[in-house]
Amino acid sequence: MWLLIIFCLLIGLIIGFQMPILLPVVFAKYMSIAVLAALDSVFGGIRAYMEDGFDNTIFISGFIVNTFLAAGLAYFGDRLGVELYLAAVVVFGVRIFQNLGIIRRYLLKKY
Amino acid sequence: MRNKGAQISIALVCLVLGIMLAIQFKTTENIESSLLPERVTELTNKLTLVTEERDALAEEVISLRNKLQNVRQNDQALADLQEELQKANMAAGLFEIKGTGIILTLNDSAAGLQAGENPNVGLIHDLDLLILVNELKASGAEAISVNGKRIVAMSEVRCAGTTILINLDKIAPPIIIKAIGNPDMLDSGIQMRGGYLEQLKHLGVQTNVQKSEDIIIPAYSGTMKFNYARPVENKEKVES
Repeated sequence: MWLLIIFCLLIGLIIGFQMPILLPVVFAKYMSIAVLAALDSVFGGIRAYMEDGFDNTIFISGFIVNTFLAAGLAYFGDRLGVELYLAAVVVFGVRIFQNLGIIRRYLLKKY
Repeated sequence: MRNKGAQISIALVCLVLGIMLAIQFKTTENIESSLLPERVTELTNKLTLVTEERDALAEEVISLRNKLQNVRQNDQALADLQEELQKANMAAGLFEIKGTGIILTLNDSAAGLQAGENPNVGLIHDLDLLILVNELKASGAEAISVNGKRIVAMSEVRCAGTTILINLDKIAPPIIIKAIGNPDMLDSGIQMRGGYLEQLKHLGVQTNVQKSEDIIIPAYSGTMKFNYARPVENKEKVES
């Protein structure tokens, strides 16, 4: 399971680095929020997987929707002149740490 | 292996996440290497400075170009002026010049004075010289001297007792008139049949015309003073 995750992540990284795509500077901020949201979704998924409450639909839809919503929210905030992406950063950061904490505890319990 | 579908979806999502992360890394790296906020201000300041410097240099280039053009024009003007001066000096007779032409030698009649004869007949008069000089001018002489006195625009040929005045200098026979021009033209002009030189010959004046390839005519040695004459500033008024 962990090997699979790391393996896929590595393959993704390699593909990403090999791709000749370079985001325009303007979109870099939204991309960072999207990455944060995706990271949160993945950790949430792992946590759910360990809690045996994993739902494929929720995981996939959560990943996609959270990613685009975060990016869209950041963009919307920029249009409004409100730094909404900060809210996204805080929320996703907190959730990532929570998820990581829960995963850590499960792992500690397990081994 | 609790749930195969969950693993596949997690693997897929991780793949996508990896791609996103990689792109983000690349982009961020690119931004950081080029556009840190402090760097932006620094670069903006630098750009402003460099732009100002460039503008100043561009202005300098323009002014230097103008100066260069002025210098060139001055050079041109100077050369033109020099040329004009040369021409004017030539016309005014202020240069010693040489060239082809004729030498006309005159002397009073050698024949002894007979009783009852007018003593003026065999002598060279100022009017004779004036007419001969005029004849030479009409034949295309470019420079004329009489006994070494350059004939210029203001030169007078005038009788003064027993001598002749040219440029306020006294001359006396033998008289040597030198003229620069086409030697054949001058020769035929001055020795024209029925011309003034022939008349002088008949009166007994000794004459000798000699073509020469190398005649030297001295410069006008008098002063050029203009106490009354002033150039008119507006040329068009003169013409109209």
